[in-house]
Order: sequence, then structure tokens, then C-alpha cells
Amino acid sequence: MIRVQGLTKEFNDFNGLFRALDNVSFQVRPGEIYGLLGPNGAGKTTCLRILSTVLKPTRGFAEVAGINVMHDPEAVRRNIGFMSCNTGIYDRMTAREMVEYFGRLYGIPEDRLQPRIEEIFDVLQMHEIRDRLGSKMSTGMKQKVSIARTIVHDPPVIIFDEPTSGLDVLVARNVLQAVARLKEQGKCIIFSTHIMREVEKLCDRIAVIHRGRIVDEGTLPELAERHQQPDVEELFFDLIQQRDNELEERQTDFSSRGP
Amino acid sequence: MSWKNVKLIFLREVRDQLRDRRTLFMITILPVLLYPMLGLGIVEMMLTFNEERRTVVILNAGEFPEDPGFLAEGTIAVDWFAGGEGDAARLQVVADVPSAADTAPAPSGRRRKFTREQLLENGRTLAAEYAALQTATDGPQPETSSDLQARLSAAFSDSGIQVLVMVPDGYADSIAQLQQESGVADGEDVSPIPPLRVIRNSADDKSVVAFNRVRNALNNWEGALRAQTFRKAELRPELQHPARLEWVELAQGREVAANVWSKLFPAMIVIMALTGAFYPAIDLGAGEKERGTMETLLISPARRVELVLGKFLTVMMFSIGTALMNLASMGLTGKHMASAIGSGAVETVNLEFPGLESMLWLIVLLVPLAALFSALCLALATFAKSTKEGQYYLTPLLMVILGLTMFCLNPGMEITPLYSVIPVVNVALLLKGMLLSSSSSGELAVYAVPVLVSSVGYSVLALWWAIDLYNSEGVLFREAEKFELKKWMVSLTRDKEPVPAFPEATFCFIIIMILQFVAMSYLKPDLNSPDAGRRLMQTMVIQQLTMIACPAVFMGLLLTTSLRATFRLRKPTVIAMLMGVGMAVLAHPISIELSTFMVERGFLPPAPEEGLSRVNELLRSADLPQWLMIAVFAVTPAICEELAFRGFILSGLARGGRLGIAILISSMMFGIVHMIPQQAFNAAMLGLILGLLAVHSRSLFPPIAFHLCNNSIAAMYSRNGFGVQPDGVFLSQTDGMLRYEMPTLILCSVGLAVLVWRMIRDLRKEQEAKRQDALKSFEAPVAASLNVPPDAKNLAAGI
Repeated sequence: MIRVQGLTKEFNDFNGLFRALDNVSFQVRPGEIYGLLGPNGAGKTTCLRILSTVLKPTRGFAEVAGINVMHDPEAVRRNIGFMSCNTGIYDRMTAREMVEYFGRLYGIPEDRLQPRIEEIFDVLQMHEIRDRLGSKMSTGMKQKVSIARTIVHDPPVIIFDEPTSGLDVLVARNVLQAVARLKEQGKCIIFSTHIMREVEKLCDRIAVIHRGRIVDEGTLPELAERHQQPDVEELFFDLIQQRDNELEERQTDFSSRGP
Repeated sequence: MSWKNVKLIFLREVRDQLRDRRTLFMITILPVLLYPMLGLGIVEMMLTFNEERRTVVILNAGEFPEDPGFLAEGTIAVDWFAGGEGDAARLQVVADVPSAADTAPAPSGRRRKFTREQLLENGRTLAAEYAALQTATDGPQPETSSDLQARLSAAFSDSGIQVLVMVPDGYADSIAQLQQESGVADGEDVSPIPPLRVIRNSADDKSVVAFNRVRNALNNWEGALRAQTFRKAELRPELQHPARLEWVELAQGREVAANVWSKLFPAMIVIMALTGAFYPAIDLGAGEKERGTMETLLISPARRVELVLGKFLTVMMFSIGTALMNLASMGLTGKHMASAIGSGAVETVNLEFPGLESMLWLIVLLVPLAALFSALCLALATFAKSTKEGQYYLTPLLMVILGLTMFCLNPGMEITPLYSVIPVVNVALLLKGMLLSSSSSGELAVYAVPVLVSSVGYSVLALWWAIDLYNSEGVLFREAEKFELKKWMVSLTRDKEPVPAFPEATFCFIIIMILQFVAMSYLKPDLNSPDAGRRLMQTMVIQQLTMIACPAVFMGLLLTTSLRATFRLRKPTVIAMLMGVGMAVLAHPISIELSTFMVERGFLPPAPEEGLSRVNELLRSADLPQWLMIAVFAVTPAICEELAFRGFILSGLARGGRLGIAILISSMMFGIVHMIPQQAFNAAMLGLILGLLAVHSRSLFPPIAFHLCNNSIAAMYSRNGFGVQPDGVFLSQTDGMLRYEMPTLILCSVGLAVLVWRMIRDLRKEQEAKRQDALKSFEAPVAASLNVPPDAKNLAAGI
């Protein structure tokens, strides 16, 4: 459902060339939650933005729902739902207007849109806030609207980019429950986070990403066994450290060669 | 593109804006409430100011003649005021003669600061100080007189008197004596009438208002006195005005109104259309980023062009709405203000609104103007990452537009062919003309075509820019970058590429421009010296080498890794070289005749006659051999300018792969560097062909061949050195200059068009092939390898 091979993304800024993603490869199957675990600035968001066609890769291959992200970005976007801590909601629109608006943008016919909205509002218990303006909503309400907007077109692939970032425990729990429900519906889900407990709870497989590269990938038991580290948090730190050491060695090698 | 999506986005944005208090304030509250309230307030204040009683003190009032009497019952007689009792009541006259005011009860209301006695006392003090000043002015110490004047002025301000009238002793007797002596022959002694002095302070508005009223009354009184004098002298009354001047005013109320609206409406329409676009654009561009809704929108299936069009139409709608609402409100307020103020001190002004035709023009011209502002504001606001930053970017735009508007408001500024293609100026001046002169609106309508076409063209360009920004990852996801000069300099030299980057190419152009300005100041050969021709040539060569070629070559060495790629130093094909030469031959007649046509029709200003004629004279001089002319005016620029413009600059501009834009910008830069409008136009036109040649052939040598041929032909043309006799069909001679005739121009145009079309076709094919190759690099590498999840160990080992 999601196939990524050798994905690389470079940015050019005032301070020169910066490689945010370096030869990343992975696959996610339907009905699976794939966790992208990494510290801030690891390249998770860049990777997910490429998958959602908001960014273009410098090199590499990425396919979502059988569609190459470079060949038909609009078709890719019709087949995914994307939610992140950065995707805001409109202050001057009500919950219903916002979900309706995105439903129409996704081309859902009017006779199917209204029942779909009712269904989502039922599941997410949003009826109380349906006519409330975005500016009058609490953070939890906003996240519910975001989720509703993400799944209104019933996409086969859903991407969550740190969806619980900055949320209190209760709201975060609601979001995680919504993700789990979507998995039960057979959706192909990528879940990016830097919170270990969320990974433990939700993800079928995880990839630890740091400084633009996937350090290791597998199920949690596989990773624990491979690195002889049963504690998830310690495992994460070990993998991060491993990548840092690798880069430092490279730097030392490069410097010692001289001009 | 889906218009359904555009409509959806447009409707959402409109609803969103209508729920925004700031937008509502700008388009409704401001025009509907604020302007009328402000207008009424100003009118009220002005009327209050004009209606307020001003104090006039008349000293020695008993010396006024009794017939005609200036005063009646101690105040100025009502007869001398054009406005009758109303005007008279606006002056509080305090004269040192018994008056009705002495016995009348004190007026109710605000208590006066000065009593009648105090005012008279102050008046006497001022009169004494004035007398001292007169004595000092006639005396030997002028510095004392300036001190006295300052003291008098200060005392006048504190006196509570706005006008002081000092009637001299024996004034009535002197006038009576003059009337008796009116028959005395010229040359005989006649006792002069001592002057009646009126003191006022022009720096004080209250004093000015009072003075105008007193002056009008005195003028009317003097008229009556003059008529009486003539009557006593048994002279015909017509002799008072022997010249019999009669002023004929043709302006009708409608024309006076048109004059006012022609000054007000164009300025307001420009400013309000921009203001109306300003805030919605910031909200829809930078505001989306700030609120985090930009990413939400980008991941929807709507295409970027649909997003931009939806937003653009919203901004444009508010721009037009704001302009129309403000104009309507300001028009009504202005009309009311004019009539309200007019009913006071000056004659009544009835400001009729412009006719239907003018109003229709206003709306027609507002559309492209609003489109231009909307697209520009949206592009700039998209570039900004926050609303605050958006305001920083848009404020300079506002300043530039205000400057252009002020330019249009200059008296006598009218639309010309040149102004008809300058953005903003064209709309403002055409509208000004349309409002001012309904009788000649047919003549002005001729300009409507270039104004509308150019305005729509600029709007499309600005919109294209906005769409382009929406496709730029760097702009949409721009984080707060900390600019460090040292790091940037290091990265420039460390992360060098084979060809320069866009900013480096732009920087090279800026350096060349700065050096050109320096050259204009310090490298001016004396055209009147005996060896002026050789000096001119030396200067040309130095300028080309040091100020055009050197910066480009130096930057190429410093900032790129491949001089061959940067300067396109590749061996050209024979066909490419022949095309270069052939196109130069074909392009020359077209460029010469086109620029002449543009000058003749007023689209371009003529070249400065004085300097040009001297340079032409020098070039035609037989002292300069032909080969030297070719070397200086053809070979040197061909090499130096091509190294800079089709070498470093075009390579840098085209690095992103947008060849068309790169060629267009480089040709504009090439034109600008030639400074003189006619030359700049020619250079920009030829720059397009040169750029196309360079990109098509991937070599600098065909453009050099083109440039060399073109300049050689131009040098020979200016010396009439073709050695061909005008036949009247292909070539003719006018005012000593060779002119190309229509058959030549048609043949050259067809030939050039075919070659250009072929080059563009080849380049398109090449670009498409490149695009397909690029897409292939994003294909799945090996299908089989993707069926199996990547081995985690291999991934880890590959770090």
C-alpha cells in the first residue's frame, strides 16, 4: 500500500545544502500501523510530506495506494488522509462547515457527504461542537475536527504526523483510540511520533529514524532481540547513539585524510 | 484545472473574510460610517471656525468721513458687507467712538476674555509700538526694527485683536480736500491723503479670516467713496473703470465638478483598490501559514493553481468592493462637504457626480487594477511566513503605488503612449482624462486598448508569480532561517556548483549596474576635444572590459566549478554559427524600424539630441578607420557583453530549468544596462534572440557571432556604409538616413520567425525528454526488491 525506496530529500538554504532525508526505504501493508520513531528534526515530517505530495523528493521512489507520488500527486492526495500537529483548522468555520468543505474538495457527491459526516460525527462524538467556530474550540475539539477532516473521504492510507504533540493526556488518548479504530477498518497507517509509549501501544512495526536515515526497522520484539535491549526507551537511545557514533566516525575519517 | 474547486475555495474564502472583523471594518464600517462622520465633523469644525466672531479694533474711528460713513452706530455699516447682516454679525467691531454695544446688554454664552476697554487699550498700545517700529525702520539701525517687529507681533497675538484698523488724524478732511481739489492740474502741489493702516497677522488663521472680511468691507466702502468723488468732480462714472475688464467664465458646474473628481477619484481608486487587497491577501497568504491551515489545504486534492485562483478571486472581489464602497462614500461625503462649506464664506459649490460613461470607465479600469494589486499582494503575502512579515513586504508596495499616484496627480499630467503601458499610472491617467473631459473621451478611448491590454498582462504575470510561489517548497515551508554572513560566504565558496545560482546571477547584474553608474560619473570623454573620436573609443573599450566582462569572469572563477559550463565555452556547430549570423542580418532592420516606430508614436522618448548628434558626427568622421570602428563597437561588446549576459547571468538564471523566464529576465537586464530608452528597447528585444541562441546551441559563440554582426551592421548603418543605393522598394533614404521599407521588413520578419519557431520547438522537445528522464529516476528501481520488505540488518549496515 505504501512503498518507499531510496527516498532522499535535500534542501538548500543560506547555509548551504542540507540533506533532510537520506536513502530511506520501507513498506507499509493494509491494516498495519507503521511507526516512524525519531527525535525532533530526524526527518519524519519531511518523509511524510513527500508521501502526501506536499514536498517533492530529490531522489528515490515513493508509491501510495499504487500511485507514484511524482506521477499523479492529485490522485495520491485523494487516496490519503493526513493529520499532523501542524495541520490547523480554520478559526472562522464551524466544525461541520470545515468537514463539509474538505469533503467537497475530495469530490464526495452531496448525497453521500451528509450521511458520511453524520457517521463521523457519531463515531467521534462531535455533535455538540458541530456549529461551534474553530476559534471557540478547545485543543481536544480541534483535534477531533482534524481527524474528521482527515477521514471524511474514507482514504485507504492515513498518515499521522505527531498527532498527539502538545495535547493533554485525555485528548491524546482519544486520538490514539481513533487511530486504533482506523486500523481495525483495515487502513494502512503511518504513525510518526517521538513518544515511545505510543509506539508500544499502537504500532505493528516501527522504524527508528535519525538524522535523515532509518537506523533500524522491525517489530518491537525483533528490535529488542536484535539489540539485546528489552526496554523500549533504552533501545531508542541505543539506536540514536549508534547513528551519532557512525556519523562522528565518518567525520573523523574525512578530517584525518587531510587536504 | 477544476473550476468547481476554484469556486469552492473562492466561496469558502469569501465567507471566511466576511466573518473577519478587520475585513468588514475595511469594506463597510470605514466607508459607510467613518468617512461621513469624519466629513461631517470637518465641515462642522470649519463652519464653526468661519462663523465665530472675530475682533476688529478701529482706532481714531471718528476720523472716518461721514458720507459715505464706514461706521454706523460704532460698528461697520451692514451696507459694506456682501453677505449683509450675516457677515456683519461675524465681526465684533470695537471702535473708539460711542456705539450701540455700549448700552446693549452683554451677549449671553461664553464670557469674553477681553472687555471693550481692554481691547481699545491693547489697540492703542499696538499703535504706539507700530509707530516706534516705523521710526526705527526709517532710522539707521535695522536690527532694532526687527526686534520691534517681533515685539509687535507677540503683542498682537496676546492682544485679543484679530485686525487693527488705524485711521490717521485728519483722514476725513484730507479726503474732502482731495475731492475739492480734483480739478487741480497735474504737476501742482496736492496734499496727500495719509494712509489708513490695517494690521493683521497672516500666520494666524483667525486674523486672516477677520482681515478678509474687513478688507472686503473697506473695498466696498472705497468704491462708494470713489463714485462720490467722481460725481462731485462731475466726471462720468464709467471713468472709474476705464479699461472695462470683463471676465468670462466658460466652466459650467459639471466641468468644475469633473475637475474635482478627476483629482480625487483616480487617486482614491488606486489607493483603495490596493488597501482592499492588502489585508485579505495577508490573511489568505501569510495568515494561512501562521494558523497552520496552509498545510491542511495543500494536502487536499485541489491543485495549487486552483488554490491560488480561488484566493486571488477572493482578494480581487474585496479589492473592488473596498474601492467602490470607499469611492461612493467619499464622493457623497465630498459633495456634502463642498455644498456645506460653500454655503458659508465662499460661493456655493455644487459637485455633480461624473456621468454614466465616466462611471462605467471607472468600473472597467478598476477590474484590471484590482487584479494586478490582488495578484501582487497575494504573491508577496505568500512569500511571508507570518502576517507581521507580510505587512513588512506589502508596505513598500504601498509606498511605490502612492508615489505613482502622486505622480499622476501633477497638474497637466496627461496620458501618452508611454504612460499607457506603465502599470498603475496608465489606469490613473486614463481615468483622470475620462473624468476631466467628457467631450474628448473618444480620443482618450484610443488609449483604452493599450491600458487594458498592458494592465491585464501585468495582472497575469503577477498571478503567474503567485502560482509559482505556491509551487515552491522553499516558500511554503520557509522556516525562520538565521542568516549568518560568514556561513553564507563559506557555503558560497565551499558548495560550489558548475554554474552559478539565481541570486549570484542577479548579484552580478547589480554589480554591473553599479559600475555603469560609476562610469556615467567618472568615465565621460570630452566630446568636444580634438581627438574626441579616439577618446570615445578608448572609454568604450575600458568600460566593456572592466565593468561588464571582468565582474562576470571574476564571479565565475570565484563561485563556480566549471568556467566551461558557466560561460558555455563549447564548440558550436557550423549551423548554429550560421544561424547566429543569419539572425543578426534578419533582426537588424526589424529592430531599427521598430524602435523608430516606437519613438515616433510616443511609446519611447527620443534619444537626447545634443549628445547623440555629436556621437553620430564622431562616428561618421572619416578620421576613424572602419576596422577600428568594428573592433570597438562590434568585437569588444560582442565578447564582453555575451560573457556577462549570455554567460554568467543566463547560466545562473537558467539553473532552475526555467529557460523561458531566464531568457526573458536576462534580456531585460541586458536592456536596462544600455540605459538610453531607445537602445534599451532594442537591446532587450535582441536579448531575447541572443538568449534563445545561447540556450539552443549550448554555446556562447553563436550569440557572439550574432552580436558582432548586429553591431557591425549598426556601425556601418550609422555611417551609411552599406555601399548600396536606396531603391525605394527595399531601402529608402530619409533625412540622410537609410530606412528599411516594408518588403524588407516582411521578408526579415518571416525569416526570423521561422528560425525562432524552430529553435523553440527543438528546446521544447529537449525539455520534454529531460522531464521524462527525470520522472524515470523516481520510478521503482527493481520491482522484485520491493516485494520483500527491506532487510533491517542490511539497512543498518548501509548507514
